[in-house]
Amino acid sequence: MGHGKYIAPPEGRYQVPAGEKLELEYVVLPGESRDIDVSVDLMGPGAELSLKALYLCKADEKVNFRILVHHRAPGCRSTQLVNGIAGGTSNVTFHGTIVVAPDAQKTEAFQENHNILFSESAKVETRPQLEIYADDVKCSHGATVGRLNEDELFYMRSRGIPRKEAESLQMISFLTPVIPEGRREEIENAIRNL
Amino acid sequence: MPNDIINEFTKAEYKEGFVTDVEQEFIPKGLNEDIVRMISARKEEPEWLLEFRLDALHKWEKMPQPDWAHLDMPGINYQDIIYFAAPKKDKDRPKEIDPKLAETFDKLGIPLKERDVLAGVVAVDAVFDSVSVTTTFRKTLAEKGIIFCSFSEAVKDHPDLVRKYLASVVPASDNYFAALNSAVFSDGSFCYIPKGVRCPMELSSYFRINARGTGQFERTLIVADEDSYVSYMEGCTAPMRDEQQLHAAVVEIIVEKGADVKYSTVQNWYPGDADGKGGILNLVTKRGICKGEGSHLSWTQVETGSAITWKYPSTILKGDFSSSEFYSVAVTNNHQQADTGTKMIHLGRGTKSRIVSKGISAGVSQNSYRGLVRMGAGAQNARNYSQCDSLLIGSKCGAHTFPDIRSANPSATVEHEATTSKISEDQLFYCNQRGLDPEEAVGLIVNGYAREVLSRLPMEFAVEAQKLLQVSLEGSVG
Repeated sequence: MGHGKYIAPPEGRYQVPAGEKLELEYVVLPGESRDIDVSVDLMGPGAELSLKALYLCKADEKVNFRILVHHRAPGCRSTQLVNGIAGGTSNVTFHGTIVVAPDAQKTEAFQENHNILFSESAKVETRPQLEIYADDVKCSHGATVGRLNEDELFYMRSRGIPRKEAESLQMISFLTPVIPEGRREEIENAIRNL
Repeated sequence: MPNDIINEFTKAEYKEGFVTDVEQEFIPKGLNEDIVRMISARKEEPEWLLEFRLDALHKWEKMPQPDWAHLDMPGINYQDIIYFAAPKKDKDRPKEIDPKLAETFDKLGIPLKERDVLAGVVAVDAVFDSVSVTTTFRKTLAEKGIIFCSFSEAVKDHPDLVRKYLASVVPASDNYFAALNSAVFSDGSFCYIPKGVRCPMELSSYFRINARGTGQFERTLIVADEDSYVSYMEGCTAPMRDEQQLHAAVVEIIVEKGADVKYSTVQNWYPGDADGKGGILNLVTKRGICKGEGSHLSWTQVETGSAITWKYPSTILKGDFSSSEFYSVAVTNNHQQADTGTKMIHLGRGTKSRIVSKGISAGVSQNSYRGLVRMGAGAQNARNYSQCDSLLIGSKCGAHTFPDIRSANPSATVEHEATTSKISEDQLFYCNQRGLDPEEAVGLIVNGYAREVLSRLPMEFAVEAQKLLQVSLEGSVG
């Protein structure tokens, strides 16, 4: 697949000092098997992380996310959003952990992972985890595994949109929150070719 | 409030912490083949059951103790535990309950005399250390064909049923503590509801640990035949001691086609003192199987006791269109640790499950939710919804969420949501303003927070559970 243009930031360990903001974006396109292994430490007050990831699988890809976010100081904020579509015989795992250290008060940490299974033989495993040792925090996580909404499909088809296109539109809307700026066209094409 | 007052207060409030002074017989300490044979002989068990125990023992000996839970587990010396303790029977009156035992259960509010109970609401199987003391309302139940008795009696009177279902949901090799239980289990309850019968009253088991240096290893087996219904409750308490005592139980539930089982637990084992000394190590395996089409199993638990809780009531949804629910409130205070949750294994078409877990941590305790939702390849259109909320009271405790979702079916839908928060200053202020002191306010807020689960409990339990929540959190604010 000729999708080598995008260079993802190197996976690994990041330390975000007080008052700084780190933005991470990952895109995994069809044909690509990837292990994305990231650990982020929020070191000082006001440090912030925004992580967005997207995956699209249509063959026998194996995509593994391992994301560890460690809130080591008070008043930090982190958001994670990982959305993707698993087709073919692909196998996707998401293992995300948020750790809030004792005394890291006023922490805000959010983590979401949404997956759509697009074939009978694809598999998704998701393990969003929270480990919280401070009380004055706002933390939440959500995870879903499901399929395209039949009602929405029917709505579009009853208005003359062919099934295939209706499915693509749904997937585009599902992935829009995690599509990086400037890559919309490329990703929409990939979705239409699923 | 000075610490010692809080300590005294919390200690004084575990009112089930007394010891019954009754003559008891024990077998020697330790665990080996001879001990297992001794337990089996004492209970006059058939050969096949002894074989089952020995096989489990050999499996257990080869297994390592699991350490994946988010718990700081003390080393357990399995050779330093007495595996069987029973109150001595009075030879002159072999049929009657020792008045001291009757008094104990009376003090705990468990009715053993049928005439004491208002119009027959609850039938009780009372287990004291390693033996069942009595089972009430047997005759009334027998009229409907319902079997409700101690496990030992079931082995004697209904060997075919026991043999058919024992270890069919939790095999001896399932996990370390299930294997241990299979080798040394002493007593417990057995319940069989025949086809099409709706059990006319709540069935209940009450477990009491009394003797020092012992562990309790009971086994509960519930079989609900086609289109039957039963509501089952389980309660437990233990004396206050400096030593930690082991409780490793196994509960198996078989739900046939169209049957409905409701299983409720109020777990109030001694949690240890405010410094984390003593308490029960509650390491139990509970699992049910929705075997037939349209069967239903619901778990409701209120966990306030135990120094350590390791417990994951689970359901295997095998029958098409079967459904299961798990409602849980787990409270940890002082040095308590809990790692609890559920597993929903969806195998059949159109199966549904719902998980609502409310964790409350206070003091320096650690409270974890751990869950697994698995959608098998055959789980067409299966559905799960999980909600796990944690409430933190105080800055030194921890609240953790470890869900695991695995889906291999594109038509299955799984949703998981979790939040963590503390009681807000605004809520407290509002209550204080209206004349409630901080502890009352916390009790009120916590009860509101846990209401969705508490409302699922049978009436008899709901009142007790609400009080228990308040008592467990006593001394955690201020």
